[in-house]
Amino acid sequence: MAIIEIQNVSKKFGPKTALSDVSLSIPEGRIFGLLGPNGAGKTTLIRIINRITIPTGGTVLFQGRPITDADVAKIGYLPEERGLYRKMKVGDQAMYLAQLKGMRRADAQRELRAWFERFGILDWWGKKVEELSKGMAQKFQFITTVVHKPSLMILDEPFSGFDPVNAELIRQEILRLKAEGATVILSTHNMESVEELCDEIALINKSRLVVTGGTDEIRRRHGEDNTEIEFTAEGALERSRCVVPRTEVNAKLSELIAAGASIHRLEEVIPRMNDIFIKLVTEEGN
Amino acid sequence: MNLSKIRIIIAREYLNKVKKKSFLLITFLAPVLFAGLCLLPSLIMVLAKEEPRQIGIVDHTAYIVPQLVSSDNIVYQDLGTLDLTAEGEATPSADTLRAVLSRYGVDAIIELTPVDSIDVQAIAYSVKDLGMETGQVIQGAISRAVEQYRIDRFNSLHPGVDLSQAMQEVRADIALIPLLIGKDDSIAISESGIKSILSMILGLALYMFIMMFCGMVMSSVIEEKSSRVVEVLVSSVKATELMFGKIIGVALVAMTQFLLWILLTVAILAVAGLALGFDALMGAGAVAADPTGMVADTSAIASIVSTLGQIDFGGLLLCFFLYFIFGYLLYASVFAAIGSAVENEADTQQLQIPVTLPLMIGMFISIYTMKAPESSIVYWGSMIPFTSPIVMLSRIPFNPPVTDVVISLVALVLTFVLFAWLSAKIYKVGVLMFGKKSSFKDLMKWIRQRD
Repeated sequence: MAIIEIQNVSKKFGPKTALSDVSLSIPEGRIFGLLGPNGAGKTTLIRIINRITIPTGGTVLFQGRPITDADVAKIGYLPEERGLYRKMKVGDQAMYLAQLKGMRRADAQRELRAWFERFGILDWWGKKVEELSKGMAQKFQFITTVVHKPSLMILDEPFSGFDPVNAELIRQEILRLKAEGATVILSTHNMESVEELCDEIALINKSRLVVTGGTDEIRRRHGEDNTEIEFTAEGALERSRCVVPRTEVNAKLSELIAAGASIHRLEEVIPRMNDIFIKLVTEEGN
Repeated sequence: MNLSKIRIIIAREYLNKVKKKSFLLITFLAPVLFAGLCLLPSLIMVLAKEEPRQIGIVDHTAYIVPQLVSSDNIVYQDLGTLDLTAEGEATPSADTLRAVLSRYGVDAIIELTPVDSIDVQAIAYSVKDLGMETGQVIQGAISRAVEQYRIDRFNSLHPGVDLSQAMQEVRADIALIPLLIGKDDSIAISESGIKSILSMILGLALYMFIMMFCGMVMSSVIEEKSSRVVEVLVSSVKATELMFGKIIGVALVAMTQFLLWILLTVAILAVAGLALGFDALMGAGAVAADPTGMVADTSAIASIVSTLGQIDFGGLLLCFFLYFIFGYLLYASVFAAIGSAVENEADTQQLQIPVTLPLMIGMFISIYTMKAPESSIVYWGSMIPFTSPIVMLSRIPFNPPVTDVVISLVALVLTFVLFAWLSAKIYKVGVLMFGKKSSFKDLMKWIRQRD
């Protein structure tokens, strides 16, 4: 079942079109990648889901019903343009943001302390935000995004600014939240994360939806249907590789074996998300 | 509008501001300053109080000394016709004078010598300056003694004529009594000076407070935008809720500050009153107004007191509260809109000037109120919403018609509602506009834009 159903949504700012007739379905319990070049309309779409912006046309359904302000409490949003009150204490600020999401004081306190403990940052509670490093602040901000146990999380560039260790920590947290049944919309330019994390993706370019579907399916669909063969030719010291169309694999294999080569690996060539992204976006441009 | 969320926003805004060092500093320093100002005359009196001056009188005329009456501050000591010159001296030498001063334990010796049948030369010898005030008091006392002598002499030379009576009959000192015909048909003394001062203080105070607290709202909006915390916030609450929560939070800060100011000032004055004695406190004003101490003009104080009595302080306080609140709300929503359109304080100037201009015009008109409270510029200034809070408040001591006040308040409230609505539209868009400096044209565009 889809947690979010976007139906023919468009948004105009005066004469400028930010989104035009976008329809998307975001399945429950999956990680959904929202891709697109800068200025494509991703942030506008995210803001529409969050009800920060009201669409010019179309509807957004949340769990099958038109989305309301009350539903927004079930969403956790980590915007790309994110920040914190610099002069406010970490604990006070976490409590403030959690209460704004509708959590009761006692619950917020308990949940936040549990998260702080898990991230090993309980001693930050009484510090001011300006005393934290950028990475520390982002870790703290991630907690404030997810503490109210949202059923949908929208993470806009969650890994930017993190060192590899902390990026991995966040990656593991995202997977853990998914395992607990949450849905995640992940907007990022980091294509490796998309390949690793996203079950489904949508690519938006120039305010239009270009493609949407399962990540593997899209990668396959955009492949040239080739197969890579890794082998060592007779008498050779190093391994060699060759790429052949799938229909010619058998012929090529017979040829190699007849020549006395030993075969190590046979693999379907799936294009990287990065290449698909560039291909789709530049094709659009032409 | 989600009230429980607005309450959370108000609480954060309020606590954040109230806990600031600058808030505490202003809250506690201002009453000290204010009480100090109130206490200054009495303090000066208390601090200026000295041991009575001992004045030795060497009277060669014989008729002045019996007329000199010692007081708390000046004690006269009759030294007879003591010779101040030592043997062989024509005029008194410094050594001789010093010796006389110390022998009689006096601060000064005054030598009175008849010049002719009616004139007298008076010379005061002292080591330390007597001070202007003491000098004037002594001079006055001697002059009156000589005057009395001359009157007696004139009377004896012209039997049947009483000069002192004639002088009393001739002397004229006519005061203009300003009587005001009140709405309740009462006729009472008016002291427009006090009203003018009160009027000016009220106008200036309101201008200052509106600027101060609206500035707080604006920098709070800018802080949220420039730190980028705002997008997280508007994903939890409506932008409008955020804006009004902020405005209400700062309004409560203002109320807290006013209340603390009043309480602390009263407390300090009460403590000072106990320490200095209430009589000193009450009497100081009167004496300070009349430093020569020659005339204790109680009628001036009585008229000030009666003028203050005429002013309806309950009504004044209510008007101050209403005009501050609605003036603040009107300007705070506009300032919030401006804050939403920029990313740092430095960029606000261009947008801020057109908004602070009416406020400043209001202040200038309010200064004019004390000169001409009935002029038409003051009337219109107190009616037009952007200047009305300041100008109308400065009119209140002059008892404007109640209908004027009601009309101006209604106009102010309606304008606030309109501008709150417009500002909310600007705020909603502006607060999420990053990386671009916005102009007035942009703000107009955001108002027209559908959500």
